[in-house]
Amino acid sequence: MNNQVHPVREAIKHAVLILGALIVILPFYVMVSYSLKSPHEIESNTGGFFGAQEPMVDEYCVKLGNPRDACVETPVVYNYTQAFKKAPLLRYLLNGILVTASIFIIQVLVALPCAYALSKLKFWGRDFVFGLVMFCLLIPVHAIALPIYIMLAKIGLTNTYASLVIPWTISVFGIFLMRQFFMTVPDDLIDAARMDGMSEFSIIWKVMLPTAVPALLAFAIFSVVAHWNDYFWPRVAITGNRDLYTPPLGLREFKGDADGSIWGPMMATATIIVTPLIAAFLLAQRRFIEGITLSGMK
Amino acid sequence: MAQGSHRAAYGFIAPAVFLMIAILIAPVVIAAALSFTDYSLGNAGFDWVGLENYDRMVSRSTYTKMLSATALYVLTVVPISIALGLGAALLINSVKRFGDIYKTIYFLPVMAALLAMALVWEFALHPTLGMINNTLASGCGTWIEAFFGWHWLPWADDAPSWFENGCASGFPLWFGDKDYSLWTVAFIGIWQAFGFNMVLYLAGLTSVPRELYQAAAMDGATTAWDRFRLVTWPMLGPTTVFVVTITTIRSFQVFDTIEAITQGGPAKSTFVMMFAIYEKAIQHNLMGMGSAITVVFLGFVLILTFVQRHLVERRVHYS
Repeated sequence: MNNQVHPVREAIKHAVLILGALIVILPFYVMVSYSLKSPHEIESNTGGFFGAQEPMVDEYCVKLGNPRDACVETPVVYNYTQAFKKAPLLRYLLNGILVTASIFIIQVLVALPCAYALSKLKFWGRDFVFGLVMFCLLIPVHAIALPIYIMLAKIGLTNTYASLVIPWTISVFGIFLMRQFFMTVPDDLIDAARMDGMSEFSIIWKVMLPTAVPALLAFAIFSVVAHWNDYFWPRVAITGNRDLYTPPLGLREFKGDADGSIWGPMMATATIIVTPLIAAFLLAQRRFIEGITLSGMK
Repeated sequence: MAQGSHRAAYGFIAPAVFLMIAILIAPVVIAAALSFTDYSLGNAGFDWVGLENYDRMVSRSTYTKMLSATALYVLTVVPISIALGLGAALLINSVKRFGDIYKTIYFLPVMAALLAMALVWEFALHPTLGMINNTLASGCGTWIEAFFGWHWLPWADDAPSWFENGCASGFPLWFGDKDYSLWTVAFIGIWQAFGFNMVLYLAGLTSVPRELYQAAAMDGATTAWDRFRLVTWPMLGPTTVFVVTITTIRSFQVFDTIEAITQGGPAKSTFVMMFAIYEKAIQHNLMGMGSAITVVFLGFVLILTFVQRHLVERRVHYS
């Protein structure tokens, strides 16, 4: 294998990679750019990336009876304030945080003790339980959304926070992952803790949990990214109550009343929803890529 | 081992076992049972209808269109997103500089909420306002139209090209045209998925031992294609098996882009299975039919995963 760089070949490779990068970035460019522009600039496709930022009159504000000069705003301010005014976006974002955090915490509370028992305790039926975990790994929760929905409807739980969280409380993948990790923890560590008189319960949270932080962090990223971005299950579980909307559901609402003036605020909302994870990803790329591709370790 | 740990263990596994049975196993059983009924939420009872729901799936045009739209989508997205992912990984691995920057950019769509990006794509592809069609239209009447007219090619005939047709009678409606909608949705699927595959292939590439390339070179593998064919591709086998499985399962589950943009239309051209379950069962309250689609869907997923596990086990043995 020769390692010298052929300048022409190298240039062609970069040209291909740059072309790909442009296509990948295109929608992000459109999203951010249109969140900065006035409705007129969006409709006429003018103004470059940032738009001219000429002050514009908010016609809706005028209709409400305010004096014309009190309703003048620059497009960027208009779009981002409208994102929060047209819909309770702040509430949606808090719902999103509440739901994603609850899901992750419950997943850990359920999975850690089970993983500990499967990896470090001997008990009758252990192989069976592990077999059950391996079998459940085959079932994608999205695929069985309908029967879960029927069950929740039967006990009257649709349109509640609980319905957003319940299907995700069990992460067999989390159990499997933590069990594999705990297998590598030396038994001596646990025996020493038992000598000190620790109960099995406190061993899980005071000995095993601290050793598992790197694996848990990767799992946290895996879980949070999946549920912050999830649209299918919230769409199924929440039918009318807008107070329970997660960010993707809230964004989807904008499409209902689509006239030209809504595009700017809609793109602003999209930007607000997408930015937190993108920013976190850019800051901690290695960890994120590890976390997202965790399922590759199966 | 201390006697107490035995009893404690049951307490530790109890919540997980209960939830596995209640949330994962029971729904599969319920879906299987309801698929033989005409159940609707709110009705007191239901009738057993035998295989009627399954029969409909192969006889009614709505459902045969569902199966073919799903198959077309999966068979488009899976090979292309895997080929692009592998291609990107190989290119990034072979350039001297900036590889990490490309990797970061290509991974961005994996992180972004697909629903949000679907709405952005819809806007970018809007027939009149969108920047794609506007950009295409701005090439009309210039050298660009002449170039993409292809008439300068010696073997070209006089028929107007795709681009000239677009200039003359308007560029495609993309999501609004049944000849384009499925491919446009599949394009978004590929756009979103290939970065994930690229990352898995990059990880796979780091585990290919360098000595193998030297050994292959000594055996006369001189061109890049030989090295790829004889060393890289076989060594990436386990990665490929995994990538194919996970990409297929994910493409089967496509929903966000369909619900937000096309609603299964036009003319059912994008009526994929997850959207069919949502529309028929959740919106139209046809729980029996929805359950039957769920069962078929699960069947596909299970078969795929079993094949994957079988292949992985066969490969693991010699390493």
